[in-house]
Amino acid sequence: MSVIMHPRPSPIAAAMYTLRDLDVDVIVLHGPSGCCFRPARLLERDGVRVVTSALLEDDFVFGSEGKLSRVLKRVDELFKPRLIGLVGSCASMIIGEDLKKAAREAGLLDKTICCDVHSGSGDNTVGAIVVLREAMSMGLIPREEFERQKRMLEMATQLEQARGTARGEYIDTCVGDPPKEVARAILGVLASGGKVACVLNAKKETAFLYADVTLAICEASRRLGGKVQVLANLDPSVGLPRVRLYSRQILGSFSDAGVAVDAITGGIDEYPASGEKAKQIILNSPPDLAVISGIPHAVAVERAVRTVAVSVGSRAVSNLKSLGYDYVVGERDAHQVSLGRNKQIRRSLLGQAIREGIRA
Amino acid sequence: MRALALYGKGGIGKSTLASNIAAALGGRGVKTLLVGCDPKADSTINLLGRRIQPLLEVMREEKRPPPERFTMVGFNGVSCVEIGGPEPGVGCAGRGLIIGIRYLIEALDLEEFDLVIFDVPADIVCGGLAVVVKEGYAESALVVTSDEFMSLYAANNLCRGFTSIGAKVGGLLYNRASERGRAYVEAFSEKVGLPILGSVPLSDEIKNADRARRTMIETDPSSAASAAMISLADSVYKSRFSVIPKWIPAEDLEAIFVGDA
Repeated sequence: MSVIMHPRPSPIAAAMYTLRDLDVDVIVLHGPSGCCFRPARLLERDGVRVVTSALLEDDFVFGSEGKLSRVLKRVDELFKPRLIGLVGSCASMIIGEDLKKAAREAGLLDKTICCDVHSGSGDNTVGAIVVLREAMSMGLIPREEFERQKRMLEMATQLEQARGTARGEYIDTCVGDPPKEVARAILGVLASGGKVACVLNAKKETAFLYADVTLAICEASRRLGGKVQVLANLDPSVGLPRVRLYSRQILGSFSDAGVAVDAITGGIDEYPASGEKAKQIILNSPPDLAVISGIPHAVAVERAVRTVAVSVGSRAVSNLKSLGYDYVVGERDAHQVSLGRNKQIRRSLLGQAIREGIRA
Repeated sequence: MRALALYGKGGIGKSTLASNIAAALGGRGVKTLLVGCDPKADSTINLLGRRIQPLLEVMREEKRPPPERFTMVGFNGVSCVEIGGPEPGVGCAGRGLIIGIRYLIEALDLEEFDLVIFDVPADIVCGGLAVVVKEGYAESALVVTSDEFMSLYAANNLCRGFTSIGAKVGGLLYNRASERGRAYVEAFSEKVGLPILGSVPLSDEIKNADRARRTMIETDPSSAASAAMISLADSVYKSRFSVIPKWIPAEDLEAIFVGDA
């Protein structure tokens, strides 16, 4: 039996992010106060309140539905939310806590999305699907939207297993190539009149970081020459209102910077499918260099053209290296950089290095 | 100090045997502690005549309570503790047992006793219920069984569990013994390699004593049922047999009952 031994994303965190996408006002995590602390803090920066039922050892032993019910009532009094997301944790779900019963007893079932999920539920996408299914059953999203997102999430899981960090028993960490060195390679292609395909294939809000690579390369092309082909998964007509807004905002920033998008490859929550579309476009008209930002392993062109992969996380970088991308840049934590009430394109390490390279 | 843990099918009479063994040995000057591990917290009721506040409930009020807050002395000087646990259908009894037992061992000096009996609920359905033998708090387990198929089926499952966690078992305690059923228990005993340490007959006197919330030893010390309890207690206390048991496939167990053994 093969076990993936390195740390993997949690279904609880995926559920919390999806609840944020549904614009819940408060997320209640039914678990210990430290459970999913980091995603909780990041989501708070995004304007979602996150509280926990602060479970302790006694609560595991004696059960804590009553305590959860009291927390829900208090949350309702304090924040007067329109919509509440209620997520399980390993501890509460394994002892069989009934989230809906607690919400019902608090008189808040009608406005609470109850997600019976924990970190042992399987792939992280399971958490997102649980939330979306519940949202559909509450009439918050139409069935078609649920089915579309479910299909994308299942494709994402398959992608991770085939080409992502779920494909190996243990993937070591790696810092990647120095951004300055990679910037020199990009600028060299442009300066020699070559063609750079700039592929944004990002996941939701992380696009606010990766879009900066596109801006920087286009800026470099204006100064040095060469040709830039921009492909982006920024279809503003796809997804939940929040993610459609992300696409509109980034397209607006591109427009302000004079960046023309040559092809929209899909929605901002469709990176497994949009990656495939970007791949076909690149293979039909191969560039001298393809710079793929976000989820590069969804754009499987590393054996066909010279590539730069830009992603986040030392394990993802290691995986991209082993897949055969020529250069791999590890950006700063994309969620850390891109979460926040004031959504705008954030400076990336590679983008900065390219700009510095232009000036040098 | 000897420490033993009674396991067996739910309702088979573990608490009745545990409290009577403790009472019999207590009456002979053996300093005995009975630790009830069932969330129902009723193992010690026959020694005390009433329920005591379980340790886990005390710990909800005071994280590290002193022994006098959760220990009581019952009939024949037997010290009694109930670990307790959640109401049926909520929480996690196994986790409760782990926490309760670990604190008990820390708070009480078990070496002060000659004998500690852990009365553990039902089957080893989770890691928590195995903690007493798994973490070595009891040197060996004793399996209580009757001669009914489901009771031996549970005993066999227990043997399987003990084998898998490498826990030692001291033998079988044959409760509600009957002339007709003895052969089944003997056949099972032979197959799993565990001796029958003693037997107690099915008895209305014992049922009546239970109903009165007293041990048989206290209710009628001169009765045949009391004599059986005392004999069983002696055997349990004296026996040093301890082995990781074998277990048998379900069809072999069924064969015992159709006379094919």
